[in-house]
Amino acid sequence: MLEFIDVTKTYGGVKALEAISFKLENGEFVFVTGPSGAGKTTLLRLILRETLPDSGKILIDGEEITKLKSRKIPGLRQQIGVVFQDFKLLTERTIWENIEIALAVIGLSKNEWKARVAHVLTLVGLSERARFFPLQLSGGELQRASLARALVVNPKIILADEPTGNLDWETADSLMDLFEAINKEGKTIIMATHNKLIIDKMGKRVIKLNGGRLIDHKINHKKESKVKETEKEKENKVKVQI
Amino acid sequence: MLHLKTAWSNIRRSPFQALAAVFVLAVTFFVTSILSILVYSSGQVLNYFETRPQVIAFLKEDTSSEVTATLQEKLKKDPRLKAVTYVSKEKALEIYKKATSDNPLLSELVSPSIFPASLEFSLVELGFADEVINELEKEEIVDQVGFTGVVGFGKESIQSIVDRLRNIIFYIKAGGTIFVATLLGTSFLVLLVIIGMRMTTRRTEVEILDLIGATPGFIRSPIVIEAILYSVFGVFLGWAACLILVLYSTPSIFSYFGEIPVLPRDTLSLLRLFGLVLVGEILVSLSLSLVGSVVAVSRARRRK
Repeated sequence: MLEFIDVTKTYGGVKALEAISFKLENGEFVFVTGPSGAGKTTLLRLILRETLPDSGKILIDGEEITKLKSRKIPGLRQQIGVVFQDFKLLTERTIWENIEIALAVIGLSKNEWKARVAHVLTLVGLSERARFFPLQLSGGELQRASLARALVVNPKIILADEPTGNLDWETADSLMDLFEAINKEGKTIIMATHNKLIIDKMGKRVIKLNGGRLIDHKINHKKESKVKETEKEKENKVKVQI
Repeated sequence: MLHLKTAWSNIRRSPFQALAAVFVLAVTFFVTSILSILVYSSGQVLNYFETRPQVIAFLKEDTSSEVTATLQEKLKKDPRLKAVTYVSKEKALEIYKKATSDNPLLSELVSPSIFPASLEFSLVELGFADEVINELEKEEIVDQVGFTGVVGFGKESIQSIVDRLRNIIFYIKAGGTIFVATLLGTSFLVLLVIIGMRMTTRRTEVEILDLIGATPGFIRSPIVIEAILYSVFGVFLGWAACLILVLYSTPSIFSYFGEIPVLPRDTLSLLRLFGLVLVGEILVSLSLSLVGSVVAVSRARRRK
């Protein structure tokens, strides 16, 4: 479904990604991990055609997106739902309107908006916050709203860039449960994160980057008990520090 | 509907920018409306002088109606002449009575027999006057040829009135076009600045819409609608101000110009004239706002 073939990207002489190759199948859930500056966000930006690689090919459903004409880029983006670390919600519109606008963008008939928006809001547990403005919501709720906007267009792929970066563990955990449920419904999810606890808990395929290079590519196994233990240890540590 | 809502909320969020745009456009289209009416009126004045019966061929007493009709047909076919009409003795008396209606004694003493029948017409161009008069004087049934310019003005003076009118109309058209073009240019720049500012304040929104797959048309639509709303409001304000001014001054205009039809005398025709001006101005303003918004949006996207 998605394939990177020998993709290299540099910014002003600095290699953000170097000869990256991997392949994803429909319905996969993949973590892209690595320290800051490893190239995670660049990889997502390449999929979204926000930027072009210096060399290599990126294929979605066999179509080389690097060769897409600019007038076809909106069409590509309409098939990809994106969840941003900083939410990227329109602050002057309500949560309902933020989700509606994604439907307006794909040109869906207005008669269908209400049912679809209500459905995704129920799915992410924000039905009662529908008429709130982004400034009236917590970080976790904003991230759920961002996910709802990504889901409402029924995308082929969901890209999530550090979706738990600004959230506490409990909120992050419940958000990950939501992602897992969505993945079980057949959506392909590519999530950039450096949160090892989440990666360990989910037990999914991991693409590990460092300095723009793919250094590891494996399937993690669930380590839920260990995660909980580690979290408890962490909480204890915090308590001790306080 | 969504774009209209966005455009309207943008206008409400920056009311002073919106007012500036609307007022500049209103001034532009007020001047445009005034100039359009002025060009129409001056054209009417010129047409009035040009189409008045300028030449009158008085016919001999015993001329038969067949011979008169033959000459009338001949004159009608002459491309230098227009509005050829036959005025009988009775009609001439009627005209005389009408002209002397304020003094009935003058008309009581006359009978149709003292008025000669005549053929009256105007010239396509006053330059033809001499040759046409010479040719008519050679016609057997023509007794005398009168030129209305002779009465009061003289041949030269009526020609010079028309020439002067033509000059005035030329200056109104040329000066008006330059003035309106300058105002339209200013309005265009004001629209560019205001839309540019709007794009800057909406930069984050534009980026988000871009990332979720909005087409350039989708992003541009609220901006274009906003510019169209400014234009339509501006045109309507300027046009309405001109209409009120003209309606208010119509009695004075009519009494000053007398029988010269500078403006249509019935309300329906006057409103039709203003309707045409409004349609023309809306078309111009729509082009202005469409071009202005598209230029401003593409400049802002290039700067991204």
